[in-house]
This record gives sequence, C-alpha cells and structure tokens, in this order.
Amino acid sequence: MHIPDAFIPIWQGAIYWIIALVFIALALRWARNELTEEKIPLIAVLAAGIFALQSFNLPIAMGTSGHLVGGALAAIILGSPLAAVFILTLVLVLQAIMFGDGGITTMGANIINMGVIGGYVGFYTFKGLMAVTKNVNISGFAAAWSACVIPAIACAFEMYFAGTFPLVPGLIAMGLYHAVIGIIEGFVTVFAIQLIVAARPDIVDFKINIKEAPGVKV
Amino acid sequence: MDNKTFLIIGIIVALVIGIMAVFLASSDPDGLESTALLVQGQKTLTGGTPADAQIHEDTTGKLSYEPPMPDYSMGKSLGSLGGIIAIVIGTLLTFGIALGISKLLLERKKRKDMKIHQKS
Repeated sequence: MHIPDAFIPIWQGAIYWIIALVFIALALRWARNELTEEKIPLIAVLAAGIFALQSFNLPIAMGTSGHLVGGALAAIILGSPLAAVFILTLVLVLQAIMFGDGGITTMGANIINMGVIGGYVGFYTFKGLMAVTKNVNISGFAAAWSACVIPAIACAFEMYFAGTFPLVPGLIAMGLYHAVIGIIEGFVTVFAIQLIVAARPDIVDFKINIKEAPGVKV
Repeated sequence: MDNKTFLIIGIIVALVIGIMAVFLASSDPDGLESTALLVQGQKTLTGGTPADAQIHEDTTGKLSYEPPMPDYSMGKSLGSLGGIIAIVIGTLLTFGIALGISKLLLERKKRKDMKIHQKS
C-alpha cells in the first residue's frame, strides 16, 4: 500500500509529513532511551528482513498480490510501537528514494499508515490478546492481520480526501484485498517471531513472562 | 547465538528472501494499485487484472521524481540480474543504515549517561 506521488495533492502530503515527523521524533527518543548493545543486531536484521519481505509479493487471487508490511512484527519483537515507526521509516525512505516504491511527497502518509498505525495497532492488539489468551501464535497472527487491515482502511480515507478514490468502493476494495493480504502478514509474522525467539530468547521483549506463553518453546 | 552470528545469519536470510522474490514474486498489482484500477473501471472487485491494465496517474501539480533503480530493476537489458543487484543493494543499504543510526544513537546515550554519572 505504498502511495505514489500522483495519488495525493502536495498540500495534503505536507500535512501527513508534519504528523509523521512528530512520530519520527518520538521514535528517535525511544531509540535514545531504550537501545542497548544487544538490541542493535535485532533492529538491523529486522530492517533488512522487512525490506526484503516487502519485495516478495504473493498472489491473493482477484488479480491482486500482497506482501508483509512488518509493523506488527517490529513492534512485537522490540516491545514498542515506536520501534515499528523507527524501522518502517528507514525502510520507506530507502524504498522511495532508491526504487520509487512509494512517493516522496506521500512518504509522510506511508509512514503514518504502515509505521505509526501498523505499529500501534499491532502492538496493542498483541498486548491485549496476550493478556487474555497467553498464546503468542494467536496474538501475533491477530495483531499482524489488524496491522495490515486498519492501515489499509486509513489509506482508503486518505485516497478519498485526496479525490483519488470514491469513499465506499475504495473502502470495500482496500478492506477486502488487505483482509486477504493480512493472512499472509499473519503467517509470516508468527513464523518470524518464532524464528527470532528461537535464535535470541534473551533479547525479545514481549513485556510479559515468556515462560507463561505456551506458544513459545524456549 | 551471539550478536555477530545473529547479524550474519540475519543478513543472509534477508538476502535469500530478496533474491528469491526477484524470481518468484507475483507481478499482479498490490492492494492499493488494484483498488486504483477498480475505481478507474479497468477491473472488477474480484476479477482478474487484464494484461494491458494501466493506472492513470494525474501528475499535474504533483512531484515527479526519478529514482536510480525504478521498480527494483536496472532496466530491461539487465533483466533478472538487474533485479538481483537492486534487491541486494537495497537490503544491504537498509541493513547498514539501520546498524549505523542505531550505533550512533547508542553512543549518544552512553555519553549522556556518563555525564549524569560524573555529576552525581
């Protein structure tokens, strides 16, 4: 759901950029306070992994394809929605400048959708469901699915404000396609969480006692 | 697994995924592009995308930017090889910049902590 420059008028893009910059500043403050020697490899590998996975489009039928976005994954593994903003901003800047994947004037909107909304929705869905189910797989899947669908709905509204999509058909199509893409997001996210926890159980920060979670083999 | 091993295995996994994507990724439009084609009357909601479908972009008064490697490729003449080069550059660049910025921020945090320590 990388919005190209042609889809949003520059003045609206500027508003999204200003909101995005507030969250980028918060993400930098998060990094300054929470970074440790141990977390740096995790951030670098997650950034590179999310970049690579975002180029891997899988067909979802209906003449459409989709890929992992990664906001929920980053937020869950690093224990903060601002971690998702930090990592997704880096990925989105590089994608737009180097490869034209997503626009420059629309980068603020893309950071808000995939980093901010994806990160916050993913993190709090995971946290809430973990409290109820104590199961990493169920919570991770639902968090990732929501972190794909809710940003897509937000994107449909932005497209409506921009005059690019009519409201109802935009909402239906964006919602339907990303409800299916969200299943990919869910499976890849759960798989990646298990892989990273298996490799480094010491640095994954679920903000809960990991031994109580039956979905995770430590 | 120590930090260095994790970094090396992590970057290899990312590169393998990226290179596989060059050959295996679907060329169907993504959710946003597909919705654009739908509202422009070029496809139906659940139908396939015609091969000649093209998104009409209204670029008047919008920024037009030419990236060095548009659409993760280096032109038709290089084909898949260009795609691999683009993905490898992108993955390594993302990795390097994430590592660099994180290290820089950690250094600043350490210096700040030391100053607080000296004062007390």
